[in-house]
This record gives sequence, structure tokens and C-alpha cells, in this order.
Amino acid sequence: MYEVFFQKFNEKVKLTPTEELHIQQYLTPKKLRKRQYLHQEGDICKHIALVEKGALRSYVVDENGQEHITAFALEGWTISDLSSFMHEQVSSQNIDALEDCELVLISRTSHEELLTTMPKYETYVRILVTDAYVALQKRMLGMISMSPENRYKSFIELYPNIVQRVAQHMIASFMGLSPETISRIRSRINNPKP
Amino acid sequence: MNTKQTIAIIGATGSMGTAISKSLAKGNYRLLLFSSKTEQLQALASQIQTLHPSADVIVSQCPTDASWEADIIILAVPYQAQQELAGKIKQVANQKIVISIANPLNETYDGLVTAPDTSAAEQLQLLLPHSKIVKAFSTVFAADFAQPVISQKQADAFIAGDDQEALEVVEQLVSIAGFNPIVAGGLQVSRTLESMTLLLIQLNIRYDYNWLAGWKILHH
Repeated sequence: MYEVFFQKFNEKVKLTPTEELHIQQYLTPKKLRKRQYLHQEGDICKHIALVEKGALRSYVVDENGQEHITAFALEGWTISDLSSFMHEQVSSQNIDALEDCELVLISRTSHEELLTTMPKYETYVRILVTDAYVALQKRMLGMISMSPENRYKSFIELYPNIVQRVAQHMIASFMGLSPETISRIRSRINNPKP
Repeated sequence: MNTKQTIAIIGATGSMGTAISKSLAKGNYRLLLFSSKTEQLQALASQIQTLHPSADVIVSQCPTDASWEADIIILAVPYQAQQELAGKIKQVANQKIVISIANPLNETYDGLVTAPDTSAAEQLQLLLPHSKIVKAFSTVFAADFAQPVISQKQADAFIAGDDQEALEVVEQLVSIAGFNPIVAGGLQVSRTLESMTLLLIQLNIRYDYNWLAGWKILHH
């Protein structure tokens, strides 16, 4: 139920069995079925979710009703609307399950209590947020400086699991490209000119 | 709240479980019903679907799985079954709201089986130390759900618990069910609430209220 959570935690900050049990008290195990929402826009995002099993996405819907995927999360990844979660502000994002999921949720109260009582949790969160910031920066740099083809190539190199498990139109949405553009890029990659 | 909350109702085919399930089907909730009486459970789910075609009702095969999937768990089982069920859901109910509806009555309905310095809800909290136990739906009868307004007065439904956020969530559930929610205090107040129900049951038997009776606090 918490295997992946603690595996990921221990990769960043080593915990003793007693410390694991202490943290476990604050965690909420939650199953989600495919297409069910973990969080919907208009609500304050109540949790940070770590994926034990399954896949989720977060997305916004623009004024024309068009969905734009902001993140994916597979096993071992976390997903949330961090700004809404941290500042208790109404969120414009949605998070739903792309597959049946098993999650570990951390509520804001649990998060705050762990931050103040457990320095190792604070270290873990710092590393997590730094990694997420770096990933976001790379994504932004890619958006403004790389060709769509190179962005796609770097995406499939970095996240081969997402390419296998997520529909192509969702990857297109995440990359800010049209599904047709992604199709053209894929066929160019698969059939390179001699 | 836009995000649909999932509520597991454990013991859904009992008279209280059935009444709670039917009344909450009116709200924006996803209901996961569990009971060991599988045929009755299926019939209840179909009945709810007929009454509320847009209701999101699913029958569950296992109390542990239902509670794992749930955001809120309602233990609609007699006090005597509480300990065994708590054992089954303990791991998956961590940090979740668990509603205790049980009144620990003795077999002759003239006393409580719990000691005066505790209550069914406090016992449940000891069994599920990391869950947010809330006492609710314990001071109303099953028949009240179909008719929460008695003699032109909306019945009060008392709530007790130690977690403020959980109390607010449960207040909403009680309102959806048609009652006037009153937060009575911390979980320890469950002792008083469970005794109030004992009295209501005794009065019902003595004066033949036909199990349609409830509490109403008169105030200015």
C-alpha cells in the first residue's frame, strides 16, 4: 500500500523503520478508478498524491473548452496543483485517472505537521520540489528554444513509459502541439530520409 | 465542492444503512455499498437507481476494498460488529473520516453495554487511531430519513468529533439527508448522544411513536 512511496522516499532520504511508521500515520491510501477525478477545478486542491499504481494526468480547460494537459504521473511520481494546495486557493486544474490507480495522499494538515515535526520530511519535500522545478524549467526552455521534432525526441527519450501508456493526442496536448504535428514527427522518426 | 466524494456505506442493507444510502443518493456523491447480504444489496442498489436515476451507486464485494476506495466511510453496523469491521478496514481508513452511527444498546433496550466513561464512537477511535471518527446519524431513527420533518419541525441530528474539517464535511452529509445538523462538541460528547438515543428508544416503546420520532432543540 505504501511500498512505492517509501521506496521513493528512501532513494532521496534514508528512513529507519520507526520513522516510516511515524510518517505512515499521516498518509491516506486511496484507490481511484479509470476516468474518476482526484480533483476538479473550482475546488481547493486538498492533497499531494503519490502514485503507487496506475497513471493520472492534470489539465486545464481553456475558454474555448479545449483541454491542455499540464502533467502526467506514473508509478513513483507525485501529482497535485501545488499552488492551490500550498496557498489554499481555488484551482483551475483538474486531475483524473487514466488507468485504475492506487495512490498515497498527503493532506495539507498532514503535510504541515510532518514539515514541522520531521526534518527528514522537510528535506524530502525540498528535493522533490527542486526536482519538479528543474523539470519545469527544462520543459519551458524546450518550449521556447527547441524544434517540435527535437522536443518530441527528447520527450520519448526521457519518458518512454508515458509514450507506451498514454494516448498520442494527450502527449500532443502536453507538448502544446496538434495531434497531426505529432503524427508527422513520428512518421519522420520512423521513416528517416536516406 | 465539485470533486465527487466517494462514500463507503458498510452494512448498507440494515435499516439504518438502507435509509442513509437512499438519502445520500440525492447528493453529489459516489456511493459504494457493502453488505454480506448480497442479494438484498443488489436490490437496494437497483431501488436507489430507480429513485434517483442520476445517482452514482456501486455495489462492493469487500468492506476493505470499499473503504480503500472511499473518502468517507460510514460504519452502519451494530456496535457488536464494530470491532471486527474496524480490524478489516484499519489500514485503508488511515486519515479518513469514519462515521460511527452505532448505539451500544443491550439486548433488552434498557441500558448501554459500554462503561459510563466511554462510548461506541470513542471505542472506534481507539480501534482506528489514525482515522477521523465522527459520531453522526445516531440520534435519529431509520424511518426519520423518509420523513425528517415531523409535526412541522425538522428533526435535529447531532454530530460529535474532534476534527474540525471532518465535522464540516459530516454536517453537509446530515443536511443532504434532510436533517438539521447540530455539532454537539468533541467525540467525548458521543456518550451523551448515545444515551439520548437510548432514552428516545425507551420513550418510543413506552408511548408508541411508531419509530418516527426525533430530538428538537427549541431556542430563540
